[in-house]
Amino acid sequence: MQSKTEEKLSSVETIQQNFESLDYICNLQIATAVYLAYHLGKPILIEGPPGVGKTELAKTCAEMLDLECIRLQCYEGLDESKAIYEWKYGKQLLYTQVLKETLSEILDGAVGLTQSVDKLHEFGDIFFSEDFLEPRPLLKALKKKEGCVLLIDEIDKSDHEFESLLLEMLSDYQLSIPEIGTVKAAGETKPLVFLTSNNTREISDALKRRCLHLYIPFPDAKLERQIVQARVPEIAENLRNQLVTFIQELRTMDLKKVPAISETIDWARTLILLHSESLDADLVKQTLNVILKFQEDIETVEADLQNVTNKALKETA
Amino acid sequence: MDSTLVDFIKVLRSAELKVSPAETLDAMHCINLVGYTNKSFLKNSLALVLAKTPEEKDTYSHCFDNYFNVDKFQPDPNNDEQSAIPVDGNIDESANEENFNPEQNQQNGKGSGSGGGSTSASDAEAAPSLRASSSLGKLLTEGSRTDQTISMIEAGRSVSVNEIVVFTQKGLFTRKIMDAMGLKDLQEEISERQQAGDAPNTQLANRLQKAREQLRERVRDYVEKQFFLHADESGKQLREELLKKVKLSNLEKRHFKDVREIVFKMAKKLISVHSKRRKTVKRGQLDVRKTLRYNMQYDGMFFDLKWKATKVDRPRVICICDVSGSVSNYSRFLLMFLYSLAEVLPKVRSFAFSSDLGEVTKLFQNTELEEAMALTMRDYGNGSTDYGRMFQDFKSHVLDEVNKKTTIIILGDARNNFGDPKSEILKEMYDKAKRVIWLNPEPKSSWVVGDAEMKKYSPNCHQTEVCNSLTHLERVVSNLLKSAT
Repeated sequence: MQSKTEEKLSSVETIQQNFESLDYICNLQIATAVYLAYHLGKPILIEGPPGVGKTELAKTCAEMLDLECIRLQCYEGLDESKAIYEWKYGKQLLYTQVLKETLSEILDGAVGLTQSVDKLHEFGDIFFSEDFLEPRPLLKALKKKEGCVLLIDEIDKSDHEFESLLLEMLSDYQLSIPEIGTVKAAGETKPLVFLTSNNTREISDALKRRCLHLYIPFPDAKLERQIVQARVPEIAENLRNQLVTFIQELRTMDLKKVPAISETIDWARTLILLHSESLDADLVKQTLNVILKFQEDIETVEADLQNVTNKALKETA
Repeated sequence: MDSTLVDFIKVLRSAELKVSPAETLDAMHCINLVGYTNKSFLKNSLALVLAKTPEEKDTYSHCFDNYFNVDKFQPDPNNDEQSAIPVDGNIDESANEENFNPEQNQQNGKGSGSGGGSTSASDAEAAPSLRASSSLGKLLTEGSRTDQTISMIEAGRSVSVNEIVVFTQKGLFTRKIMDAMGLKDLQEEISERQQAGDAPNTQLANRLQKAREQLRERVRDYVEKQFFLHADESGKQLREELLKKVKLSNLEKRHFKDVREIVFKMAKKLISVHSKRRKTVKRGQLDVRKTLRYNMQYDGMFFDLKWKATKVDRPRVICICDVSGSVSNYSRFLLMFLYSLAEVLPKVRSFAFSSDLGEVTKLFQNTELEEAMALTMRDYGNGSTDYGRMFQDFKSHVLDEVNKKTTIIILGDARNNFGDPKSEILKEMYDKAKRVIWLNPEPKSSWVVGDAEMKKYSPNCHQTEVCNSLTHLERVVSNLLKSAT
């Protein structure tokens, strides 16, 4: 298993090819990041506009390495009981009820409070052992013997406190549980950690310091064409070029939310459903809501639609 | 090898990238893994470790290209073969020792040019029986360009050329590097050979002289590059420090771009300090609803109590700016500051006046700052200042919306052209708002001179401040954010 993982991550080019075979087209920077993350044993913090494939990278990586992808979706108010572990309180309560009868047997013969307590101590902290522990994503990831891909999604949505909670995990691959002690990553293989952020707020320096920082921008036309081809192979080359040129053109306009790769792919699928062979102003107008998510933006683009469409057609002619 | 990296990190730091020692160590591990052989691979790898925001990545990429290109010089006219060290890092210790060993160069036959890219053209014209005797002379006539470059960089390091601060030091460092490379011996050799008088000697002397001039050019070039790498940024820092302290009204248009950058930087700092939304816990007050809800998971047993907490609201700021001639520059920068802080101060309403008050909030939110400022000036900047009128306008339009969460900032010199000051309206504002802050660009001594009405206004403000430089502005805004707690 270990050697297989090693082999798949042996060089940047190999990674790139492996990703490509899974229909994830990436540039050298992304492949380098994965390569370094594995070899230096560091988490990757991925930033970039929404829809450029940040989450997808982690998922593809898991698929490539044939490992489980454990995902922790961050939101405001996320705390350790949701992220690391929780005591199974109900189970603890149930067990105490069931064991009530046995208690008298255990305490049989003990005289006075001190002796009874001593006797109880002999049994240790059964109720605060791993059996009563409900592992949450972070702990689960550490306990995976064969390693796994841990995806901490949209870290910028969580609170500041939660970031600090992650620090121990990210730098030492260990977690401290007061009742049990420190849990370290099982075996040799550390989980491969991906954190994603949409940059709605600045991530603290302490967290950034512990991570490799990867910024994924919008792809250039060539890369985007490759991506569309990989994801929507049934699209005709002519239409694909027009589509990508059109999207690239939109990104230069002053919009509230510019279309990302995921929108390009959605649009490509839409056009296939509509059996269209070439872009024209009417078609674009009807399907504009696939790529633009704000009425304001749609109005802005509609005003200039003929122009942009012609440009896209001309350039790919 | 390590010193190359450390030097590079120094360059990054002077370009205002915050690289911590821990990140330096990471970079070191990274280099151990990646090696110096593939430049773009190295660049991509270090980018992951050292630059942690998109802006930093840009700066980083720029620095990387500059730093790892120092040894690409103009091709030597005498030398068709280009000495190509792709990466500065190739110069590891062993190579250096080798090149600093004159004996070894001597062993390499001169005509064979085995030192890599050789000076074949000049060899041909030299008399075969003569060799340069000084070490620098040997290096120039026999060593390859690579060797020369390495030796030059070594010399640069020994005189710590990376400490160059100002432009005028360039000559000094050029000289120092030449000296460290052994210029003195070379000079002596040249003059000796010229005095000897016979043809081969003179020829060699001429050749050496020519080579010396070329070397000087290259060293000068190198020093210049080092200057841009190391000193340009620290010079910039110096300028920034100055600009922060200078009176805003003395700033000229050509400074605006720099000042804007500084304001953004300051704003960024303030944002990172204040972006954390603080909660204050009212101790001792049980939040029954929260406790019930939270303890449902424990079958309704109350063993985790929740206390009432209040979130601290961000301040609502109403900013009233005098935009008449003398004060307009200050208003410009105050507004620039406030709107750069949109992330932590989302609710800023701004008004401009010289006599009539007008709201410019929308204008500043939707248009570029410079343009918005120009429009504001056009619409409100004319006419003589009338504070009384302004207060009356404020009362009739905005005062109803002022509540205990509002902070009002008034920026102006309070020079009312002997009109009615209407300080009773300010008193009303004082009573209704959380804080009223008056910023006055004039020094305190002139607050009561002439038509200035500060004496009447200041009792009705929570705070009056002199505010005429960026540092002052920063302090005011920082206090504003702090008072939110």
